[in-house]
Amino acid sequence: MKFTMNGRPVTVDGATAETAVGFIRETAGLTGAKPACGTGACGACTILVDGTAVAGCLTLCSDLEGREVTTVEGLGGTHPVQRAFAAHDALQCGYCTPGFVVAAAAFVDGWRAEHGDTTPSRELIAEALAGHLCRCGAYPGIYAAVEAACAGEHDDERPDVPPARVEALEKITGAACYTTDVRLAGQWEGVIVRSEHAHAEVTSISGQGAQLVELLGADRIARYVGQPIAAVAAPTRAEALAAAARVQVEYRPLPAALSFDPEEAPDAAAVYPSKDGRRGAPRSSEGPPSPARWRGNLRGPSGLSKRPRTAVRRIEQAREGNDERFFSATFSTAVQAHTALEPHACLARWDTGGDLHLHVSTQAVDRLAGQVAKRWRLRSEQVHLVAEHVGGGFGAKVNLTGEVVAAVELARLTGAPVRVVLDRAEELIDGGCRPGTRTELAMLADAEGRLAALTMDVHGDGGIAVANNAASLARYIYGNAPRRLRDFDVVTNRPPAAPFRGPGHPPMLWALEQAVDEMAHRLGTDPIELRRRWDGNPKRQALYDWAAELNAWRDRPPNGGQQGRHRRGVGVAVANYLYFLDPGTKVELTVEQGVVVARTATQDVGTGSRSVISQVVRETLGVTADRVRVEIGRTGTVHGPAAASSCSTPSIGPAAHDAARRLHSALDGRSLDDAEGLRVVGRRPWDRWGYVTPFPIGDFAIGRGFTGAVYVTEVEVDTHLGNVRVTRVSCGIAAGRVYSPRLARSQCHGGVIQGVGYALLEQRHTDPATGVVMTDSLADYRIPGIADTPEIIVYFHQDGWDHVSGRGTGLGEVSTMGVAASIGNAVRNATGWRPLDLPISPDRLLQGLAE
Amino acid sequence: MTGLDQTLEALRAGALPRAGGTDLLARPHTPQVIADLRDVAELAGIHHLPDGSARIGATTTIAHLAADDRLLSTHPALVLAARTLATPQIRATATVGGNLLQRNRCPYLRNPAFTCHQTGGDGCPARTGWHSWAVAIDHSACIAPHPSSLAVPLLAHDARAELHPGGTIPLIDLYGDGTDPTRDHQLTSEQLLIAVHIPAPPEGERAVHQRTTPHGSTDWPLVEATARLLITSGNIASATVAIGGIARTPQRLTAVETALTGQPATTETANTAAAHATADCTPLPQTRHKTHLLHHTVLDTLRKALGDTS
Repeated sequence: MKFTMNGRPVTVDGATAETAVGFIRETAGLTGAKPACGTGACGACTILVDGTAVAGCLTLCSDLEGREVTTVEGLGGTHPVQRAFAAHDALQCGYCTPGFVVAAAAFVDGWRAEHGDTTPSRELIAEALAGHLCRCGAYPGIYAAVEAACAGEHDDERPDVPPARVEALEKITGAACYTTDVRLAGQWEGVIVRSEHAHAEVTSISGQGAQLVELLGADRIARYVGQPIAAVAAPTRAEALAAAARVQVEYRPLPAALSFDPEEAPDAAAVYPSKDGRRGAPRSSEGPPSPARWRGNLRGPSGLSKRPRTAVRRIEQAREGNDERFFSATFSTAVQAHTALEPHACLARWDTGGDLHLHVSTQAVDRLAGQVAKRWRLRSEQVHLVAEHVGGGFGAKVNLTGEVVAAVELARLTGAPVRVVLDRAEELIDGGCRPGTRTELAMLADAEGRLAALTMDVHGDGGIAVANNAASLARYIYGNAPRRLRDFDVVTNRPPAAPFRGPGHPPMLWALEQAVDEMAHRLGTDPIELRRRWDGNPKRQALYDWAAELNAWRDRPPNGGQQGRHRRGVGVAVANYLYFLDPGTKVELTVEQGVVVARTATQDVGTGSRSVISQVVRETLGVTADRVRVEIGRTGTVHGPAAASSCSTPSIGPAAHDAARRLHSALDGRSLDDAEGLRVVGRRPWDRWGYVTPFPIGDFAIGRGFTGAVYVTEVEVDTHLGNVRVTRVSCGIAAGRVYSPRLARSQCHGGVIQGVGYALLEQRHTDPATGVVMTDSLADYRIPGIADTPEIIVYFHQDGWDHVSGRGTGLGEVSTMGVAASIGNAVRNATGWRPLDLPISPDRLLQGLAE
Repeated sequence: MTGLDQTLEALRAGALPRAGGTDLLARPHTPQVIADLRDVAELAGIHHLPDGSARIGATTTIAHLAADDRLLSTHPALVLAARTLATPQIRATATVGGNLLQRNRCPYLRNPAFTCHQTGGDGCPARTGWHSWAVAIDHSACIAPHPSSLAVPLLAHDARAELHPGGTIPLIDLYGDGTDPTRDHQLTSEQLLIAVHIPAPPEGERAVHQRTTPHGSTDWPLVEATARLLITSGNIASATVAIGGIARTPQRLTAVETALTGQPATTETANTAAAHATADCTPLPQTRHKTHLLHHTVLDTLRKALGDTS
């Protein structure tokens, strides 16, 4: 069988049942196309066959006979749309980029052939790229890039618009190497065998001759359907899958707790009957968990209240007295799956000296290497970990997870390098999720319109994971009014939740920010004015000034006055976030052949940490881009931060600056060409006045000051068909100096788009009788596509952080936290109906409007 | 090219037919022996006949159908349905026959952890589980709606299905009455759909298709509807309305058609007629919204067919 690929003839010997993307990656060795969903929903494996974009995962290799195939590698990096993607920062983690680029190239070429150098409508672009998903939310850049390429703005190189990212060229050409792309000689494939029971004791595991390692804990209890029980390896994935299917597991089923019901939880079948089990429960938030007592499967309360008895007394009196300044409601949020497009993946190899070599898709190179060393009792220098490019994480890749354990153990057992890559179903079942919540909230304002009392009880639905912290986070906003904040976990035999972009904040704000909005209506006050009054944070005051002047806000419709089918609404919400940093961050600079090479054991998950380091070093030394190279994404150098808690930029930026200053001194006037081998290490300088935490906890410190966001969101509601369309989000961010406005804006776009998904689309469903996750494909678990993208306006208020080294903090999380709440308030403004439950799906909206 | 008889031979030997394969390859546990239909000449291509009717070969891709300008002028609802389903990548590969005969989208059917009427079991786990995507006309032990978008305009156009063996039958007979919970269509494993024949519509007919999804075009539809109206001298001379996403099979709404026929071509008529759209609905606990969506989707299509764009 013969076909042409990227202009070259390809011959396939014998029959093959392989998919096209399988052949192109594994046999032909071109790894630009990514098989990220296996069902044709995400488009990351898109290739052109005779010029038409098709899903490489749904095409058989045999279908290519006699055809002309073009992969991203065949575009060469000089296609106008590739240049436009780089110039308009139409990418973040880059995992979906090859697929987008290939389809966009076909669209742009076709458009220009028919219409000349004109700009297509956004509707047409969205339709052309409807078969692609980008979890980072690079869609605004993608729109801009396709428009510019169609208009002929990138037919030549554009030195005037350099790429926002230093690795842009690698990502637009498919050359960027992710963990899933690494292939070592003699490599085997591992597959995880997962529990078929929601709760059972595993009495025996028989590998039927397979190379098998067990993954259960010492108690041999499986606590959810999909929990890793064992893993098998074989030379090919097909053989490994067959071996996994032959593994026989004997279970002794136990009663399972499957419903998220706080009332039933104390008496339901115990998920963790022992103290040790409870202590070992996974956690859905970061940092040490607050202590809490357990009653059966109900854990809590924990929380950080202020004058709680006063708050409760005032609330109870107001409730009894039917006070019109009293509001109470029960809110809920759905379980949201992280859904990074690169699945969890690990390739492990033990060398003859006993060192462990890992390629891992991780957000935390240094931290994970430490966890690996501890678990396998290795010295830290024996663990060699690489994560050159990482296809998104959003919190699910911060710690040691099952695929790493499986790969390391299988590699030891087989003596071969072993790769374990989760498929999309595994990823959606066990790849991490934000806990669902149920929040009972009560709020009271006094006669002067001040916040008089607040109570929030939040029950978290994190499966076997604990440490829901949503209520506690309401301590840090709206002054010092009395408040009782209580967090609970309802533990069930369902997959564990994990920290997810701003853990706890989106569900907390979904309730709190709608309550503030409701109070503003009752008091007859402008919702921005009420927040201005209640909120003492000076940086957010500046954002209120900005928001109040927006035309969208000034011209917003009156509340609930509309009668037509299509109704327009505007809503506001705010977010508040702690400022985290890794004070131990270092950056190492070495002069190598006239180039400054920057190294630190951190990673770029799509946020742009490579580019921030490069930019700071260039600016500080006053050298051009070709004189700086950043090598991150591996151990073997100085300590770097995890991509968590928005701490990367405020940690690496100042450390890179310090390193560059030291290099400047050490150069002492010499040119780089005369300083071969010169090496300095920069440290992250201390902030003035130190930190809130006296010493770092797990490398994290909490710095002084809060970051903030204000979102003004416009929606259109179709009251007949139950659709909510978010048309525009104006997002004001107060996080200090912005190191790179283009990268920061891209990250905020992604935050807003994930917030739109949280508000309108995303909901994990489990079967109530068995605990099986039903939303295990990207057709059933819907994340935002390009057509769901609103216009997004980002505004940075950069003052107020002079005490911070580098004067800037992180903004990846604060940009997403309150988006859903602003959409809820906009829907209320448009329709008069307040959504209490997420997502705002057509069934809920229609029911709400009918009542 | 492979012959039709050769392919039928392979099917009799247990091979699974593959047309575009967009669903076959996406489903877990796909058997390895596949009879590829793409190479069968008898199944390919769109043939326009002089009278305005057309024969659409079963392996015609959705993209090919969507790009057929002649069909767009004669059967706009069909072409519109083809243009708005799935994604460009799927449309480039998926076929008309595959769309008509695809398996339903029930997540329980597609999850190896469950058995049901369709997989040799005797229950429906969706009925007591998550089913907000399911039918609103509950007339079978299985509650999965038929997922074919093209079946809706084809049914509205009185299309016929050409089988081999089996001759030519009304399109609706591909599906039966929908009460059999064990299958999504009536073909045997040794029978192929060769083509669909779509008659020429009367001169001056207005045909509209609307796909109502939860959020956007890439979603599977909650409800879809096709309306064909022939208006003469301000009156509706004939009306055909078909719907999908609501029952085990696509349905004709004869009560709506009756309420339209002979009435003035006005918004009031559309309002009155659309009120009959949900007469047969017996929604499940999680599909009550579908009744409402059906009403408004039918109303939208009628109004568009009447030229009311408000």
